Amino acid sequence: MNIRGVHIEDTFAEGFGMAAARVVITATNLKWARIAALKLTGFATSVIACKCEAAIERELGPDETPDARPGVAALMFAIGTENLNRRLVERIGQAVLTCPTTSCFDGLPEAPDRVPAGRALRAFGDKFQISKVVGGQRYWRVPVMEGEFLLQESFGVQKRAVGGGNFLILGEDAPSALAAAEAAVAAMDGMPGIILPFPGGVVRSGSKVGSRGYKSMTASTNDAYCPTLRLTTDSALAEGVNSVLEIVIDGLDAHAISRAMRAGIDAACCPGVRAIAAGNYGGNLGTFHFHLRQIMEGVS
Amino acid sequence: MSDAVNVVTLSLRAPLSEPLDVEGITADRVAGLSEREIAGLPVRLGAREARLGDFFDVRGGRSARMRVEGALAQVNGLGAGMAGGELVIDGDAGHRVAAGMTGGEIIVMGSAGAEVAARARRGLVVVAGDAGADAARAMIAGTLVVFGRTGARSGRGSRRGSIVALGGIDVPVAYWCACTFDPPHVRLMLTYLRRRYGLKVDERMVSGRYRRYCGDAGNPGRGEILEWVE
Repeated sequence: MNIRGVHIEDTFAEGFGMAAARVVITATNLKWARIAALKLTGFATSVIACKCEAAIERELGPDETPDARPGVAALMFAIGTENLNRRLVERIGQAVLTCPTTSCFDGLPEAPDRVPAGRALRAFGDKFQISKVVGGQRYWRVPVMEGEFLLQESFGVQKRAVGGGNFLILGEDAPSALAAAEAAVAAMDGMPGIILPFPGGVVRSGSKVGSRGYKSMTASTNDAYCPTLRLTTDSALAEGVNSVLEIVIDGLDAHAISRAMRAGIDAACCPGVRAIAAGNYGGNLGTFHFHLRQIMEGVS
Repeated sequence: MSDAVNVVTLSLRAPLSEPLDVEGITADRVAGLSEREIAGLPVRLGAREARLGDFFDVRGGRSARMRVEGALAQVNGLGAGMAGGELVIDGDAGHRVAAGMTGGEIIVMGSAGAEVAARARRGLVVVAGDAGADAARAMIAGTLVVFGRTGARSGRGSRRGSIVALGGIDVPVAYWCACTFDPPHVRLMLTYLRRRYGLKVDERMVSGRYRRYCGDAGNPGRGEILEWVE
């Protein structure tokens, strides 16, 4: 398969089942909602070291938020529901509770599975907190020095979320690979139900499981895709590929990831890109396989 | 309330010459009853026992969403003791609306008589017009929102209940002003009421500032009045 001169390799991305929550942060204006959301989702690129993966999904207008203020929706992914609840408690408590003017709401109200992150955080109010039920949902008014922090008691959990959707951009040089990655990120930006958890949506240091030289390392550099190692390892790179960047996608379901990959790969097929590949572990570790050529069917 | 199929509607046939007490006829109670069973529920006209169907046309059944229509100013105890569900009163209501309520939402599209939400334990009560005297009296918890004027002695003896007074209130002497602030839950509630029930809410109330009074002095002081000050 070839899209505008870019070879699409016959391979697949391997994704894993995760639990996910959508956190809606509102504030007096978008500036403060974004500030809280950026802190909430900071240092959350990979579950390997960050315990969760998180990023801003999209900005929300006043007509889309429970309190008619500007807001931001962030998605948070973790391995297992209880683990996700702990991450929500830690991060909302440190990043949203602390941020001026914000309120914090559940963004998956229809989800039957729920975690009581807000109930845990209410204790910050030291028994001065007040509970209110509106529309069948319980909220906590937590007194803070600014006034009050409003927080929903429970957050919906999508238990069939998927982490680890990905594709690799094999570029002729670093500027070409970066330009293609930026185009891919722009194409996927704001798509519903997905996030790109790495810096700017792009990973330059794709990893393989384990390490050839250090037993303690759970992940190490993906040497097969490092251009400087093309002649010293079992390289996957053809001659002429001098820089590789990866896009990692987490989604509320597999369909959201497929849709985003299709848009992102299409945008990444631009001058200076030799091929699009994907990261997998031979298909033995992850439940979800995203075959590039199936996803890109019909794109020319 | 647009889905008429799933709403129990009670329509008062004719204006009443004396008070009718409908205490106990609540959204959660009719949720398990047929149209006929609802019409057979007991009410009191003055000192006389009667049936709901003697005064109201009943449409629908087995739904926790209830709507009451007609000239209801003489109907007392609407939603009193309600434990859940949704009750919309399409006009003025009599005394003791939502008295002793323990859950759910009650919306009075007009004004309410005395003792609205008195002794309420939980739930949300909204009066689009004025509320009579002794509103939220001895309230244990829950929220009363009054868009019009809130009557005399409101909040007296309240333990942890909240009154949101949007159209003026004579704050009882047993309450003291703690601060003026922007309560985020009021913004949430008013936005919800606008979207869910189509209530006309002045944007200045949604984004406005409120004086927070705490009382009642005879109790631990966790009763609350939030008075809109723009």
